Amino acid sequence: MPTKRWNQKLFIYELRNTLGNVFILVFGILFPIIMSILTVKVFLQGVPESMLAETKTGVFITMSLIIPMATVLIGYAATYSQELEKNIPFRMKMFGYSDKTLLLVKMVCYLAVMTISLILFTVVDYAVLDIPVPAVKSALILIVSLYLLVCILFLLAHGIALYFKKFGPTYAITMAFYFGIMILCGMFGVMPSQLPKVLRFIAYLFPMSYISEDFAGFWQGGSYNFVPFIQSMIFLAAVSGLVLFLALRKNRRTS
Amino acid sequence: MVTINNLRVAYGDKVALSITDSLTFDEGDRIGIIGSNGAGKTTLVKSILGVTPYKGSITTSLRQDEMAVHLQENNYVDSMPIRYIIEGVLNKSIKKEKKLQDLIQFFDMGGCLNKKFSALSGGQKQRMTIILVLLQDAKLTFFDEVTSGLDFETRQQLIHKLQEWYQDKGATICMVSHYYEELDHFVNKILILDEGKVIDFGTKEELFRKYCQHAIIILDNTPGNQEITKGYDTIAAPEHLIALVCQNEKAEIAIMQNLIEHDINFKRSNRDIEIMSINALQGGGKHAY
Repeated sequence: MPTKRWNQKLFIYELRNTLGNVFILVFGILFPIIMSILTVKVFLQGVPESMLAETKTGVFITMSLIIPMATVLIGYAATYSQELEKNIPFRMKMFGYSDKTLLLVKMVCYLAVMTISLILFTVVDYAVLDIPVPAVKSALILIVSLYLLVCILFLLAHGIALYFKKFGPTYAITMAFYFGIMILCGMFGVMPSQLPKVLRFIAYLFPMSYISEDFAGFWQGGSYNFVPFIQSMIFLAAVSGLVLFLALRKNRRTS
Repeated sequence: MVTINNLRVAYGDKVALSITDSLTFDEGDRIGIIGSNGAGKTTLVKSILGVTPYKGSITTSLRQDEMAVHLQENNYVDSMPIRYIIEGVLNKSIKKEKKLQDLIQFFDMGGCLNKKFSALSGGQKQRMTIILVLLQDAKLTFFDEVTSGLDFETRQQLIHKLQEWYQDKGATICMVSHYYEELDHFVNKILILDEGKVIDFGTKEELFRKYCQHAIIILDNTPGNQEITKGYDTIAAPEHLIALVCQNEKAEIAIMQNLIEHDINFKRSNRDIEIMSINALQGGGKHAY
């Protein structure tokens, strides 16, 4: 049935659909900005002047992680599961759009929204918080890491939504994962290295832990052993791939 | 245009559709597909569209993009006004596309374009999908229970609009419906399905003659009417009705005169799809499939 390809109108439609999700606007765009400003202005009052710059950098990097997680893991999973529940992807397929085209357009839109959110977040935080300017290499590493993360989380969110095809379980699982990662990976203030042994082990399975705990250390230059971070990225990608594979297998047409 | 041979669709152990002989839809056919719930109507549509796996063969001269479908349930996102959904789905601009503007006007949807899908009435929701489907200008279009859930007046309006739209067009249409009066005005052929099997397929006239003969006279099923019509041949009808068979015009006039003499209200028909299909399902006439 599908014959239509990617087009500008479809992109605008999907972009509107993405931005029409209140969760993305609130938690993917506004929340990281408000949280980072609040944390620095309210909770870093007692931090010695000599450590303030690095601490602010840490807050900025850690809060930037909320953007891909809220936008894609929660936002996309919620939107797409609702669409699946209403059989909208099938309806779109009957209008000539293949699953592949729709998925590609959605992914591009979410990357675009994340880009807008990241730019806003950076501009506001740098204007308000006086964060040290990073070394080009460090900034690039953070940006690439965030984009890699958003791609992996997109696959994970797609897999979870496709597996359940219902908003309720999809939302519950992605929310649990979201808050779990926030707690474990330092977004609630407790760094992974401060966690009990078992929780620490779990925390270091995720790349978000390395980003929030270590990236501030080489923000203005310096060396860093990226191997554990890359391993955790591969692990998350593998888990996401497996979830997507299971979802596709479950939805495979059978005669 | 579409030929179906030995088609079989199963969901697990349940056979949803089993067409043992050949079935052909010709160009320009207006086919009404009828049958109770679970008869296999939607399964047949989905098989032809290629979205349901099947065994057997469906051969067609049409490309995929030459087929369009109005599904039983048509939902859209609720995050934007429907004008953007229409433009996104069709990859066309409402401002620039004259044909799209005409369709929007024809189906009185101009005032709804800035509303979200959830804010539309049932009839408007159906009309929106119809616009999207009709603009595809497909050679073969399926309408699967297009008027389901709508009130009588809205149903009539919608069917009237569709009839008007297709009046001078040679497109082939397959319309799945439980409303026989809609099909009566819209289609020239009937496909009767029951429990996944084809009971019969042919023109309305052929099937009527086969199962109901020349004409039928329908009256209320009351004890008084039963007494008066005792001597006449009857065929199966809905419980509240009596259907008298007329072999020819002479017999028909004789029955009518008798009913008029007894001051009984009746309806005469030579195309009643409901009674024809009831009799086809009960095994009246010779089964073709």
